[in-house]
Amino acid sequence: MRNVAIVGVGYCPVFVSKRNDVSIPEMISEAIHNAYLNCGLTPENVDAFTFGNMHTFEGVNMPHLWSIDHLTALGKPIMRIATGGTTGMSAFHCAYYHVASGLYDVVMTITFEKHSEGDAQVGLAGIITPEIMTVLSLGIDLTGGSGMGGLGGGSAGGISFQATSYLHHSGAGIEHIDAQAALERRNAAKNPYAHLKDPECTAEKIAQTPLVSYPIRYGHICPTTDGATVCILASEDKAAKIADKAAWIHAVANCTTDATTGNLIEGLITDPAEQMSCQLAAKRAYERAGIEDPRKEIDLVEIYNGFAHQTLMFLEKLGLCEVGEAHKMLERGETEIDGRLPVNASGGVVSTNSIGTSALNRVTECALQIMGKAEGGHQVPKKVRKALAHGWGGLMQYNTVTILGDAPLKR
Amino acid sequence: MSEEKKQDFRVVPGAWELSGYNFRVEGRGMRLMMQGMKEGKFTGIRCGSCGMVYLPGPFYCRKCLVEIEEPVDVGDHGTIRSFTATMSDIRGNPLPEPQVTLMVQLDGCDSWIMGVLRDVDWREVRIGQRVKVKWRPSEERTGSLQDMDCFEYE
Amino acid sequence: MDEKVAVVGINYAQGDDLGLTRERLCFQTVKGLLVQLGIDRHAIDSFILASNDFLEGRTISNVFEDGPVGAYLKDETKVEMDGINAVVYGALRILEGSYDTVMVVAHSLCGHQVSPYLQVQYSLDPTYDRQLGLLNELSGAALQARSYLRRNGLDEGWLDQAAARELAAGAANEKVTRPLQGMDEGKVGSSPFLYEPLRELHCYPPTDGACAIVLASAGKARELTDKPVWIKGFGSSIDSYYITHRDLTVSSSAAEAARRAYAMAGITDPEVQIGLAEISGLFAHQTPMLIEALGLAPEGEAPRGFAQGSFGREARLPVNPSGGALSAHPVCATGAVRVAEAFRQLRGEAGAVQAGEPRLAVAHGQDGLCMQQNTVLVLGI
Repeated sequence: MRNVAIVGVGYCPVFVSKRNDVSIPEMISEAIHNAYLNCGLTPENVDAFTFGNMHTFEGVNMPHLWSIDHLTALGKPIMRIATGGTTGMSAFHCAYYHVASGLYDVVMTITFEKHSEGDAQVGLAGIITPEIMTVLSLGIDLTGGSGMGGLGGGSAGGISFQATSYLHHSGAGIEHIDAQAALERRNAAKNPYAHLKDPECTAEKIAQTPLVSYPIRYGHICPTTDGATVCILASEDKAAKIADKAAWIHAVANCTTDATTGNLIEGLITDPAEQMSCQLAAKRAYERAGIEDPRKEIDLVEIYNGFAHQTLMFLEKLGLCEVGEAHKMLERGETEIDGRLPVNASGGVVSTNSIGTSALNRVTECALQIMGKAEGGHQVPKKVRKALAHGWGGLMQYNTVTILGDAPLKR
Repeated sequence: MSEEKKQDFRVVPGAWELSGYNFRVEGRGMRLMMQGMKEGKFTGIRCGSCGMVYLPGPFYCRKCLVEIEEPVDVGDHGTIRSFTATMSDIRGNPLPEPQVTLMVQLDGCDSWIMGVLRDVDWREVRIGQRVKVKWRPSEERTGSLQDMDCFEYE
Repeated sequence: MDEKVAVVGINYAQGDDLGLTRERLCFQTVKGLLVQLGIDRHAIDSFILASNDFLEGRTISNVFEDGPVGAYLKDETKVEMDGINAVVYGALRILEGSYDTVMVVAHSLCGHQVSPYLQVQYSLDPTYDRQLGLLNELSGAALQARSYLRRNGLDEGWLDQAAARELAAGAANEKVTRPLQGMDEGKVGSSPFLYEPLRELHCYPPTDGACAIVLASAGKARELTDKPVWIKGFGSSIDSYYITHRDLTVSSSAAEAARRAYAMAGITDPEVQIGLAEISGLFAHQTPMLIEALGLAPEGEAPRGFAQGSFGREARLPVNPSGGALSAHPVCATGAVRVAEAFRQLRGEAGAVQAGEPRLAVAHGQDGLCMQQNTVLVLGI
């Protein structure tokens, strides 16, 4: 097993609702171009590629086939990974294994999503098409007004059940979710690559947005964004020649649990707020990284939070604080950009969500913080020695964790 | 890419039709549950290996990876494990009253079911409260998910 | 590559309609393999699935596959390509050192679930090719077939002969449960045209299928089996999307993929050193094209040789004794099935379709229009 570093990060110039000025391959090539620029590499230097997005959202199957001429990958190995919300990090992990195997020295991970060219609602509903068709035939009431099944939550769907359970077990209140959302929007305002920015955002402002389904307000929910993110990984000896500042991969881990709240046929056996797969993935990552006390050793976190309560919930599930402690850390200001443990200095997924990139952005943001290269004012003042990036997806079931450090892990 | 660049694009229509699929879904667990509901009760399936009771029942236990077959009656009283109060319908139109949907763990069952709770102030609902199923009258039950009307407090 | 990663067990099924839900198909395939190896799901460190949302009709198709394959509370990921790439990814995970065992599960239900040719249709450029409506998987393959026939001075009857070879092999293979008896040259040549010159029986049949493969590190492999099949090398490559930018009569990315695989495996003369090939040719002209691309025959000999049977079971270098993808094409599982077929051949366990005593074999899988992307794996015992 050899050490692997992130040597270059490339974002497309802006993450916005609609990139009407570029096609999918063009948008991706912007991020690729920026990645090369940021680390001084050229296409000849890259040995292999991994690629990820949620292709049912745009309705283009395996878009790396169509885009290949724009990806600087002609003739080379390119592997497509697709795992729902965790796609960005899963594709990144695949690149990690390419390099760590010893067979490839420099590998590029390419992710994107162009929601404006597709229909995210159709894409999301498509997760459970056969189940919906089945329960429709068995009499389910799609308005949720009667009968077994319910399908409550309106357009927020099953996530509201997760949020209610989280509040109950942690003792937090909806006002903490409001405050968390506001913090992320303020952080996003300092990130040129974020989508929803509001430098003046407050919990009160968020609390004025209507409830979709208690405890989820409109202000707690992520946008749909067009964007592309690219990351270049290198082996230890190559990294030394490419970048004087790199972010080193100390551990990668992944775990899945059963699908929750969509499991209308097989039975829902898990509290969607339990996230056992997050607890297990984090544990495995800490073991692999040789971290005995994550609360002392992790300097910065980027959490996958399509919904604002998830920042608080996952902070606990990742073992970075006790159950019931996350919202108190928020109250004390410990998770601010200048706090003891900055969380989502980037603004998180709740501020920027082009799904294929969202889990990779958690990694790239941690990498940039370690390298001291976060732009626009969201670079944290403290020295970041170790950072944790978290990805989440599926039907509330997939959790991926990456731990990065400012120096190679001593093996 | 500068912001001043004019919006110069073509809109090219496309459609992804989900037609052309012949999905197959396991029949036994749902059939068992529907038969039970017609009789005003819930029938789940127990894993002979670990004892987990699922409702509706899959054909296998995901912990033990063995086929499971043993039908078991599950009570129609249970505990609220989570809930939400929905303010608008699935299209975003405001509802006249917030609709309370519960996730309930029925006594004797490991999996949770969902159903609506009516005529309550949603602000009073708490995880841990006890509820029971309100069945439709037997002459109206046909073996469908509608055989259960809603939940109500014990 | 030295003996570092081995295939230790396989279990697979293919047919027009296996009569199962996908959950049950995945469950049975995995359970069968675990029983074979005498282990339970906890002995598997990592799961790599291969399926395609467009074929499943489901977004995030692995959401409900995890449970039936035994990945509950375990490490799992999904490759959305031909399953041979999931085998490659599994090897990378073992080489990294954190895992001793990886299970690959690749499947598609194209036999009964979904309209054929949908997968490639939706991979076409949505702004032009899809709008124009002239190009699809079949018309692309037909253009390629026509070019290949002309370049090699072959007539259309050659397609009938080449197809009949593969279908006859498939008919003898108990792992292909399809009615292939009597699919001779005459039968092939009288099947209806789909896109000239391609007739129905020149084209792959979309089938149901699932293939589970367990990979293991060296130490673990010897615990699990006394006949590990070692992964010697692999390589992958991709051509331009635009068929107008490519020479359709050669598969340059398959050649490049093979070159990389042979380099990793230390093979300098594949024609002599390789003892067997399992190749995913989806149309009658493709397997001979790929034999050439993989360097398995002298220049110009593959097309006529293949049609005349010089790559049959008795040959020095048998190609597709399984019947290949022309006999059964469970899309995402196809490349993985090629690995499985090569595995059992190397171990002398291929029963009625055993083709000699090969020591080194190649397996191949493809994705995209006109074989745009190719992956080659070298296996040895």
